[in-house]
Amino acid sequence: MAYLTLSDVSKQFADTFAVKDFNLGVEKGEFVSFLGPSGCGKTTTLRMVAGFETPTNGTITLDGADITEQSPNQRNMGMIFQSYALFPNMTVAQNIGFGLRVRKASKPEINERVKEMVSLVNLEKHVDKYPFQLSGGQQQRVSLARALAIRPNVLLLDEPLSALDAKIRVSLRAQIREIQKRLGITAIFVTHDQEEALSISDRIVVMYDGNVEQVGTPFDIYNFPRTPFVANFVGSLNTAVAEVTDAAKGLLNVDGVQFTSAAKMDGLKKGDKVRIAIRPERFSFASEGKKANVVDCRIENITFLGSVVRVHILIGNSRFTMDTFNYPSLELPQIGTTDQVTCSREAVLVLEEVSANGHVPAA
Amino acid sequence: MTTTPASAASATVTVQHPVTRKRLSSWLIFGVVSLYFLIPLGATFYWSLRGTKDVLGFEAYRKLFADTNFLPAFSQSIVNAIAAIFLSLLIVVPTAYWVTLRLPKLRSIVEFIALLPFVIPAVVLVFGIILLYSRPPLLWTATYNSSRVVLICIYVALSFPYMFRSVDNGLRAIDVRALTEAAQSLGANWPTILLQVIFPNLRTALLSGALLTFAIVIGELTIALYMAQHTLGPYMSDLTRSKVYEPSAMAIVAFAITWAAMGLIQLVTGGQAQTTAGH
Repeated sequence: MAYLTLSDVSKQFADTFAVKDFNLGVEKGEFVSFLGPSGCGKTTTLRMVAGFETPTNGTITLDGADITEQSPNQRNMGMIFQSYALFPNMTVAQNIGFGLRVRKASKPEINERVKEMVSLVNLEKHVDKYPFQLSGGQQQRVSLARALAIRPNVLLLDEPLSALDAKIRVSLRAQIREIQKRLGITAIFVTHDQEEALSISDRIVVMYDGNVEQVGTPFDIYNFPRTPFVANFVGSLNTAVAEVTDAAKGLLNVDGVQFTSAAKMDGLKKGDKVRIAIRPERFSFASEGKKANVVDCRIENITFLGSVVRVHILIGNSRFTMDTFNYPSLELPQIGTTDQVTCSREAVLVLEEVSANGHVPAA
Repeated sequence: MTTTPASAASATVTVQHPVTRKRLSSWLIFGVVSLYFLIPLGATFYWSLRGTKDVLGFEAYRKLFADTNFLPAFSQSIVNAIAAIFLSLLIVVPTAYWVTLRLPKLRSIVEFIALLPFVIPAVVLVFGIILLYSRPPLLWTATYNSSRVVLICIYVALSFPYMFRSVDNGLRAIDVRALTEAAQSLGANWPTILLQVIFPNLRTALLSGALLTFAIVIGELTIALYMAQHTLGPYMSDLTRSKVYEPSAMAIVAFAITWAAMGLIQLVTGGQAQTTAGH
């Protein structure tokens, strides 16, 4: 049995289900991210784990014990908030020691733990400062130290990096992951930022409209999305409507251009319309080496994005983007010229069947 | 030697002129408003110094403090004010906190209740209370001391709008929910959260509410008079009827106490204004 389990957990507010039949097992020491857009139920699920919300249905167990009805102050879970939630009237040291003071730990023990924690988050020089005297990144590190000081059963992080600027966000997420690994602590991280989730997690739970869309490793979530939502939400994606020409061989037609897909097309027959998806980085110029699909295209535009160059191409009547790494000897075609691009059979994902007018048929 | 071209000089004058005029008009407004407050205050102070014929001195103040009725009335008002402040804090802070945190839908009802002391005249309030509490089973105005307790409770009701507004503003200035949840996740129970997290972060708001309550109670006349209490309000009223210079001295003393209280707040909350500056 997993260390933390959520079994058939639902949360209803008035007539709306914020979370529906959520099932998940988190192993001890695992780092799991809840990823999804605003209103998908990820924060509500985290708050149910923390004890700030009580599930309408279902149970939550920790190390075999049912904690569904337990109050938040009895769960021993460290929580980190987007707004830091540091106590403005307390110094860094007092903030970090708060949980231990509440537990009536001895003064030497509190001092020792505070010292250990400030060293862990590299804030030795700031122990006597008040929160308002610290930058956002420093405040969030204090918040992390405060949550870890109580040696929590589970560390809960509610979009902790959202209020920080890009550079600090990247360095702090690496620091959070490094500390989590070093302490072997179980962590649940809520974010709407796919890059954050992909970079930091052992597993990702992609959520949409209160439902779990897919649970998997970052590699699986990115490369093998099981639902159209996951495919669209995680990473950039080209989509187009294709007509099945031979389901058994995986042959598809996009505006008269033939594609071959490795996706299973059970239940589909010739003439059916499907939505296909190809990630921009799965395309390459045919001149660099041909793969299963080689198609003619027209170069519409080229955008430099730093380490990546994004090439906008027209295949048939459908617009696609192709990402290629930027390096000094890169030779790019002229805008307005025609060229050939290629991609593998595995790169062509079949997301869903659509009706003749391009809409998803009702279930 | 350098010379400034005439055109440049005149340009400078035209640029500075509106600024100077604006600054002058600001000072003029400030001066008029200051005079509006200072002239009556100065006149009262001057009048209070005329206790001895043809000599300016503090005779009126000496007589005031020598009056055997002054200090008991004054101390009773102070004690009443302190009791009302504590009772008010005890009731209003948890109420405002809970409304903010858990029952935001009740805000409109609490705000309506907070308006009642403005709508109900003091005379109506005191007669209603006397009628309610002067007959069994609620015979709470039978003795001087029990009436005093009722009076303090009335002061709590009177100061409720001010205390609630101050506390509510203070609560809006901090992220109550996040602070509460952070403390809860760290193992704190409700009393710990209130005493160690919420109260210290409401210091300025609580002191403002306390000062307003103090100001209301210290000179309150109507209710104290009808409740037959020997507080500063009725004492000042008697003094005005029987003496000439002492009431002015009394007014100056009351004014000094109010300013001293405000100074104290400034002193105590000076640090907190800084700690909240970053948020």
